[in-house]
Amino acid sequence: MDGDLIHKILDYASSKSKFAEARYMEVTANRVGYRNGQFQGLSFGTEHGYAVRVVNRSISMAYSDSSDWSRVRETIDRALEKSNFEGKNRIYEGKALKDSWKVPAKKKLEDFSVEDRVRIVKENDAAMEAAGAPVRVNSMVDKRIKQMYVNSAGSEVSGDISRVLYFYLVGVIENGEFEQSMEQYGSSSGFEYIEKLDLPDRISQDINELHQSAAAPRVNPGKFDIIVGPEISGIVAHESCGHPTEYDRIIGREGAQAGESFLTGNKFPVKIGSQAVNVIDDPSMEGSFGYYKYDDEGIPSRKRYLYKNGETNEFILNRESAAQLGTESNAGGRSSSWGLEPLARMSTTYIEPGEYKFDELFDGIRKGVYIKSFTEWNIDDIRFNEKYVGKEAYLITDGDISGRVRRPTIETNTIKFYSSVDAVGNDLQFNAGMCGKGDPEQGVDVWMGGPHMRLREVYLQ
Amino acid sequence: MSDFDLELAIKKLEEKGFEEYALEQISSSTEQVRFSRNSQDLYNNWDESVLVIFASRGKRTVSTNVKDPSMLESSINLLWNLAGKIPDNPSFEGINPEPQRGYQKEKLKKLDYDLQDFSTALVNSAIEAGAERTAGVLYNRANEVTVRTRYNRCTYTNGGLEVVIRSFRGKSTGQEGRHFGLSNKVGAGTIAQIGSQSAEPLAITTKSVDIEPGKFDVLMSPYVMGNLISYSSSFLSYYSVESGLSCFAGSLNKEVSSSSFTLVDDPLDSGGSGYRACDDEATATSRNTLIENGVLMSYMHSYSTAKRGNSHTTGNAGILSPGAWQLKLLPGNKTKEKIISEMDEGLFINNCWYTRYQDYRNAVFSTVPRDGAFYVKNGEILGTVGGIRISDSIPNVLGGVREISSETKSVKWWEEISASTMPYVLSEKIGISKAF
Repeated sequence: MDGDLIHKILDYASSKSKFAEARYMEVTANRVGYRNGQFQGLSFGTEHGYAVRVVNRSISMAYSDSSDWSRVRETIDRALEKSNFEGKNRIYEGKALKDSWKVPAKKKLEDFSVEDRVRIVKENDAAMEAAGAPVRVNSMVDKRIKQMYVNSAGSEVSGDISRVLYFYLVGVIENGEFEQSMEQYGSSSGFEYIEKLDLPDRISQDINELHQSAAAPRVNPGKFDIIVGPEISGIVAHESCGHPTEYDRIIGREGAQAGESFLTGNKFPVKIGSQAVNVIDDPSMEGSFGYYKYDDEGIPSRKRYLYKNGETNEFILNRESAAQLGTESNAGGRSSSWGLEPLARMSTTYIEPGEYKFDELFDGIRKGVYIKSFTEWNIDDIRFNEKYVGKEAYLITDGDISGRVRRPTIETNTIKFYSSVDAVGNDLQFNAGMCGKGDPEQGVDVWMGGPHMRLREVYLQ
Repeated sequence: MSDFDLELAIKKLEEKGFEEYALEQISSSTEQVRFSRNSQDLYNNWDESVLVIFASRGKRTVSTNVKDPSMLESSINLLWNLAGKIPDNPSFEGINPEPQRGYQKEKLKKLDYDLQDFSTALVNSAIEAGAERTAGVLYNRANEVTVRTRYNRCTYTNGGLEVVIRSFRGKSTGQEGRHFGLSNKVGAGTIAQIGSQSAEPLAITTKSVDIEPGKFDVLMSPYVMGNLISYSSSFLSYYSVESGLSCFAGSLNKEVSSSSFTLVDDPLDSGGSGYRACDDEATATSRNTLIENGVLMSYMHSYSTAKRGNSHTTGNAGILSPGAWQLKLLPGNKTKEKIISEMDEGLFINNCWYTRYQDYRNAVFSTVPRDGAFYVKNGEILGTVGGIRISDSIPNVLGGVREISSETKSVKWWEEISASTMPYVLSEKIGISKAF
C-alpha cells in the first residue's frame, strides 16, 4: 500500500458529502532497548492506512488499512450513512493549497545501521552502570512518517518526516533511599541529533546528581522565593498554558477524557499572571520534536502566542474547533496514526526568554530554593491545580546556593504560579515529550521548554 | 480485513531457521460515537488487521508488525537479516512449549448496537437526573485473534461495549465508565441507568469544606481503585520485580494488605471486555489469585520470566514483559452507605486521574481527584473538598485497607482504568496534600 487509492477515496466521499477529506499515513518505526545491562530485542514495523472524514448533518470518519477498494468503500459507506445523524457539523474548509515538504535529515534513518542503533543504547547503559545506577531502562525509537492529505476544497499536501527519540529511566540507591530520573530527548531530524547529544556524559551527570539528591534533607514547608529551571518552565508551559488553550477542551470535546479548561471562552483575554510571561507554541521551529510545515489537516504552520504579557492571546485550533470558534485554523490539527482523528494539539510549547542573566535571578533572594528539574508532576482536569516535585534542587541563602534539598514540592494553581513570576531568564532549553490526548488515546511528539524563572513567595512542601 | 496465511508464515519462519516464534493475528472491527455538550461530535468506524510476529534466532529476538499480506515474505527475510546483527536477549528463555489443552471455547461475535441511539439515551438520562451538560464516548468492538506458536494454536474473539459519560452541573461533575464483554448483551435500561448514575454526585452537596493536608481515612470508589490498581498492576509483574522497579519485590507469601483484600486476574470472564483465552505465547489463560486475604500469592509470569523466577507461567505474556488482563478486587460484606455511616472523619473520593510516581521502586505517587471529593464526619457527607491530592504510596494504601464494599462495578475509562471490576475500599491514614 502506498496511498494509491487516496484520490479515488476523495472522489467517492466528496460526491456524497458537503465536505470530505482523505489522509494516507505510513509510519515506519524501529525500537531498541536495554534493561539493566541486557539487550531487550529489536522491534520494527510499518503501520499504514487511510482516514476519511465526511461532513453532512454530522461529522463521521472511516479508517481502513485495506488496499481492497471494496473494503475501503464499505467503511466509507458506513461513515456516510452515520453522517446523516444530527450532530455538530461545522468544519473550517479554507483555501486550496498544494505543496510537499520534508524534514531535512543528514544521517538518514533508513541508512543508519541496526548495529549503530544497538551501540548507542549499549553505551548509555554502560555509562549508567559506571555512574552507579542499579536500575537502568534505555529505549531509542526512530520513525519515518509519510503522509498525503487531500480534501474537497482542492488541497493536496504531502509530507515526509523523520523523528528520533531517546528515553531513559534510571534509579540509584543511597543509604537505602531510592531516587529516580526519567528523561527524553527527541528531534525532527536524522540520527545526527542523537550523536551530537553526548548522552553518556549527560546521563552520568544526571546520575551523579541523583546520588546527592537521595542523601539530601527535605525542605521545611513554608514560603520561599524560588528559581525554576528550564525543564520546569517547559512542563508548566505545556500543562497550564498549552493544554488549557486547546480550543476543543474549552468547548468540552475532551470533557470525558482529559477534561476541559479553566478558560471558559466566555471572557477574552483573561489575565493569567505576570506581564513578564509570554508562552509560545511554535510548530514551525525546524529540528524541534514537534516540527511540521503543515499540520495533519493540510494547514501551514506558524508561531502562536498563547499567553502574551500575562494574558490569553490565542487558542490552539484544528479545522473542527476553528469552525466552532468561527475563525481560521491555526494549524493545530495533529494525528499520530492513520487510524486516529486529528485533534487540536501542541507542538513546541515554551516560555519566551526574558532579559535576566542566570546569576541575576539570585539577586535579592534571602531564603529560597532553586529547583532545576522535576520528577513527579500532575494537574487537574481543567489545568488549574498543579504539582511539580523537584528532582535536582538547592537551598538559596542570601543570594547564594547553600546546600541541596530533596524533592521540594510545588503544589499550586495556574494563576498563582504565573502571577508569582517576577523575572524571566535569557536562556532557553527544550525537553522532548509525548503528549497524550484523545479517545482512542494518541501521543504526539512535542518539545517543552523555557528559560530559568524567578518566582516570589511560593509555598513549598 | 486482510487475512494472513499463518501456515505460510510459519513455513517461511522455519525455512529461515528461526527456532522460536509467536504469531498473533488480530482482525478488528470497531465503531465509536463521541459526544459533548449533549450532542454528537463524531462517529468513527475502523476496519483493520495486523499480524504481529515475534521470533528468535538463538537468543536474539526480533518482532515486527505486518499490515499487508503481500509483504509477509519480505518482512520475514528482513527479520532474519536483522536478527543476525543484534546481541542476545538474556530476558528471553523461549516460548512456552507445553501443549495447551482446554482453551476456553466461547462462541462470541460482535454484538449489534446502535451507538447513536445509545448516546442519545445516555445523554437524556443524565439530563433527567440533573446534569446540565454531558460528554462521553461509546465503543462497540470485536477483535478476532489467533495466536500461533511452534507448539500451540489458540483462537478467540473479544471486545464488547464500552460506555463512558461525564455529567456537569456548574462546577460539579460525575462520571461513569463501564465495560461489557461479548457475552453480556446490554439493553436500553442499562444505558439509561449508567447515564443517571453519572449525575448522582451532582446531587450530593455543593457546600464547600476546607481541610488542612494530613492523614485521612479515605473511601475510594471503584473508579479510584480501578485507577490505582491499573497504574500499579505492573508492580505485580515479575519483569518489574527483577528490573528493581516493584514495591512488591521480596513480598511473595507475605502480607501486603488487610485480610479482606483479595485481587484476582480473571481473563476468562467474557462478560468483561478484558476477556482473552490465551496470552501472547498461546498459553491458556486462567483465573489467577495475585493477592489472597492480604497475602501476595503470585507474580504475573510469562514462560520466560517464570523460568528465571523458578515459577510457572501464569498466562500473562507479554513474552518479555507480562501484564494483567482483567483484574478483579473481590467484594466485602458492607454496602457503601454502611461504610460511610460508620466513618468518624474522612474523605469519600469518587474518581481520580493523572496518577504519577516520583518513586517507582517504592510506589510513591500522587493522584488528582475529580468527579467529587467529599468530606465525611460522623457518618455524614458534609461538603465537597477541592484542590487536594492523594499523595502516598501503594504499600500504604493497601496496608491501610479496613473495609471493602459488597457492591462492585465493571470499570474502564480512557487510559486511566484498564477493564476491571472494583468495589469501594476504605483505607486508613492516607496522605492528602493540598495546593497552596
